[in-house]
Amino acid sequence: MKMQDKFKIKYRLLSLFESTVVIIVLLLVWIVVPIFYKNMYAPSLLTVLAELWKTLLSGELLLNTYTSLKVCFFGLLAGTVSGIVLGLLLGWYRKVELYLDPILQVMRNTSTLALLPLFVLMFGVGDLSKILLIMWGTFFPMLINTTQGVKNADPTLISSARSMSVGNMGLFFKVILPSASPYILSGFRLSAGASLIIVVGAEMLGAFHGLGRMVFFSSTNYFIDKMYAAIITLAILGVVVNALTTKLEDSLTKWQDKSVLS
Amino acid sequence: MSESKEHRNNIYRIRAEGVGLVYRSNHRKNGADSGDFRALRNVSLNVKEGEFLSLVGPSGCGKSTFLYILSGLRKLSEGAAWINETPITGPALDRGIIMQAYALFPWRTIRKNVEFGLEVKKLPKKERRATADRFIELVGLSEFADKYPYELSGGMKQRIAIARALAYDPDVLLMDEPFAAVDEQTRGLLHEELLRIWDKTNKTIIFVTHSIDESIFLADRVAVMSPCPGTIKAILDIDLPRPRTPEIKSDPKFGSYRNRVWQLLQNEGERTEEITSADGRKRLGAAPQEAVI
Repeated sequence: MKMQDKFKIKYRLLSLFESTVVIIVLLLVWIVVPIFYKNMYAPSLLTVLAELWKTLLSGELLLNTYTSLKVCFFGLLAGTVSGIVLGLLLGWYRKVELYLDPILQVMRNTSTLALLPLFVLMFGVGDLSKILLIMWGTFFPMLINTTQGVKNADPTLISSARSMSVGNMGLFFKVILPSASPYILSGFRLSAGASLIIVVGAEMLGAFHGLGRMVFFSSTNYFIDKMYAAIITLAILGVVVNALTTKLEDSLTKWQDKSVLS
Repeated sequence: MSESKEHRNNIYRIRAEGVGLVYRSNHRKNGADSGDFRALRNVSLNVKEGEFLSLVGPSGCGKSTFLYILSGLRKLSEGAAWINETPITGPALDRGIIMQAYALFPWRTIRKNVEFGLEVKKLPKKERRATADRFIELVGLSEFADKYPYELSGGMKQRIAIARALAYDPDVLLMDEPFAAVDEQTRGLLHEELLRIWDKTNKTIIFVTHSIDESIFLADRVAVMSPCPGTIKAILDIDLPRPRTPEIKSDPKFGSYRNRVWQLLQNEGERTEEITSADGRKRLGAAPQEAVI
């Protein structure tokens, strides 16, 4: 037993080392290099961290983070719900797909940020225009994945459920939706990541608060340390959101045989 | 008809009269149905309560299609079919189909899979669970109740599929080559288990297979099908003692049944044949083969 525990700890430490060593080295480089090579656009990590701490204490960072996350949340929510609903229809009814697919292809392949100025003109500089833009940007991955998920539902399972005389609603909730769930969940993971990217772009072009605005405002006013602080915050948010959505995906698809997929 | 008189004292669980199925072609040229494909022709069959009937035939002879018609998942285009003397209009819980590909819901645990039909029946949760556990125990897989299907072997999955069909208590089990995908040894075990369950539950079973040995070993009667279009060529009574054990396969009687079925399957050139069904009535078998274009 003791030997086993020892091995376990050793193994854990090793894998922790493997996964962090490159990041640690890069962070060290970020500290060491600016000592010898001074450039106002590349401040030392220590300076940036000091600035991060300062903006955190002053509340500036929290307000901007809160604003960005709020916009992301509502945009993602709206995009997810509408994407799933329409995706289910598109996947199930061939006629709906025939009529809607061409226009959806055109809309999907239009750069989301190209629409931002239009959204700002129509809905103002406030949160609404950004929420709608994120909704637009997250709607399509959700839609496409949900449609695929419904289409890939195993016909044998549908027959099997039908043979047990399940009704249309039962078939939908007991077979189609669970069949599509892995697709929907991976669409959600992609969409959550996309929402963070879109919000930054949107806030740069016009906003009162938000991390994107913080980056843009700091850079145009040469608050380089602050700009880095905002970028680091965005990086951390991105990693956290990805980790959370991946965990959600894993915990809801435990029934899948992972050994075959990998 | 004199036929109905004969049936009067004898309620059939499954009855099919002149069942035919034609797939209509989508491309019709000048209104001619040249592209139509006839899958089944004049299939007539009666199965009594508690009877075990095997339906044996080569791949593509329409035996699975016939089973799907009985399940209500596919519509017939000629003739009529009844379950419990009620015309088949769609799927219903008085019959359960067991498919070759198991068709277990991968996102449901074993127990939840077995509960599926009971949910449709709107049974309360406690009762569902108790019933499911009883049938999982019947197929000897209690310790796997909380596992997901991917964690089980093929033979285990098929036992769960059987448990799922039994759980909502249908009168009729329709089995579509259920053991075709498992290895020989497992298949032997599943045969004995199926017969044990059949004995215990007194279900009426139609068992579709392309294995001659399997069809004879399990059944009271073997219906032999010929393809293009699929029709029943002959029905043999299997007069072998029960309970059946693997040793019976070396019985000379078993051998002669095997030969007989083998000949019937081989004998494809001879399209018309007088056949004798189990109730002793003579009827004409398949009509001359129709041209299939």
